[in-house]
Amino acid sequence: MADEREDALDQFIDTLLEGGRPAPDGMVDDEAPLAHLAAELAAAGNPDRGQPDPAFVEQLRLRMRDADAGISSVQGWSLPAGAPFHKVRLTRRDLLRVGLGAAAGLAAGAGAISILRPSGPAPLTGNGRPLVRDGEWEVVATLADLPEGAAVRFSTVAFDGYVVNDAGTIRALSSVCTHMGCTLAYREKWQDLRCPCHGASFNLSGELANGSSGWSEGSGYAGDTQAYPIDLPPLVRPKVKVKGDDVLVWTARA
Amino acid sequence: MATSSGSANAHRRFEAIYDEHVTAIHRFVYARVGNRPDAEDLTGQVFMRAVEQLDIDRPAPQISAWLYRVAQNAVADYWRAFYRLPQVGVEQVAASWEPVMPQPDPHADADADRAATAVRGLLKRLPDQYAKVLELRFLHRLSVAETATRLGISHGNAKVLQYRALRKAALLVEADG
Repeated sequence: MADEREDALDQFIDTLLEGGRPAPDGMVDDEAPLAHLAAELAAAGNPDRGQPDPAFVEQLRLRMRDADAGISSVQGWSLPAGAPFHKVRLTRRDLLRVGLGAAAGLAAGAGAISILRPSGPAPLTGNGRPLVRDGEWEVVATLADLPEGAAVRFSTVAFDGYVVNDAGTIRALSSVCTHMGCTLAYREKWQDLRCPCHGASFNLSGELANGSSGWSEGSGYAGDTQAYPIDLPPLVRPKVKVKGDDVLVWTARA
Repeated sequence: MATSSGSANAHRRFEAIYDEHVTAIHRFVYARVGNRPDAEDLTGQVFMRAVEQLDIDRPAPQISAWLYRVAQNAVADYWRAFYRLPQVGVEQVAASWEPVMPQPDPHADADADRAATAVRGLLKRLPDQYAKVLELRFLHRLSVAETATRLGISHGNAKVLQYRALRKAALLVEADG
């Protein structure tokens, strides 16, 4: 039994018990229920019973306030109208995988929304509200600063971000990572915005570039050997325009 | 938040809903994924979705039901990655208001208590050595090496024992299913 299959499960359990984020890598199908059970056992064995970290609670509160103010890309989480979805047939194993006391949860999940699903390009409105309700155009760069493949940092009342020249298209992207809000850094070599905190990379369209969907086992991504484990929503994309030699971003009035 | 009132008042009400539910939703998710980083991500997704889609003008029990439903869906999707099942995306469901399950009590530790009771019940039904290895590893959080020492067996045997104990426990859970 000391084969690779067992190693993947052992690794999962070790990571779990060390408080880390376990990954499904290398796990074979019939071990998933064991991993699932292990996760629930680990949770039950935690004396603080999953009490949230107060810092997390406050951080999430701030993210929600930002989102509600219309400067986050949560609206990007919605599926495009008419997006395909799969019906999942429930088997005994499916029922097993929900583990202790949560069978109803899976049944619900099977017909449920996938909030981890990657979304398409973020629209500039949420619930019909514009990204910036009462704003103005502000010059943030000149075309001379932006040859193809270049990026310029900008900071306005509403946004910190980059204007980029993505193969001839000028785009404005927020520099706030949609995971935990860290500030993204531009990497010219890889033509992406990289999060220094957990390693998410966003392409110059603002979408997660190193997520698990579209991950190629052979080549990986830009030197990464593991896919970023969560499907993050795309970056906020403020409206941008070019007037004469100026690049302008639509932002809130100071 | 999906509301027509769109005022500072609505913001306050939304935050009151957040304050009332964030601990319970986090615990609910944590009990099902067993680690903090993922529990925080999923909890974040539940409430960020609520900002966008939750109708705060609904009666309190419906709001609570909506949050748990979205949390359940998030957990189900999380595990799909492990089972290599296709992700499901049925957009309408999270926005619907039908109750889907008995409500965990958001004001109490009932859900966590139920999970702990279920675990104790499960361990009791396992052969002694199996129950012992799971207890030492998961409840007491000993390493494999420490567990092996406590049980007076080799490191390799402790791993094998843990594997078999989990298999057996999973079979019991499945039989209950």
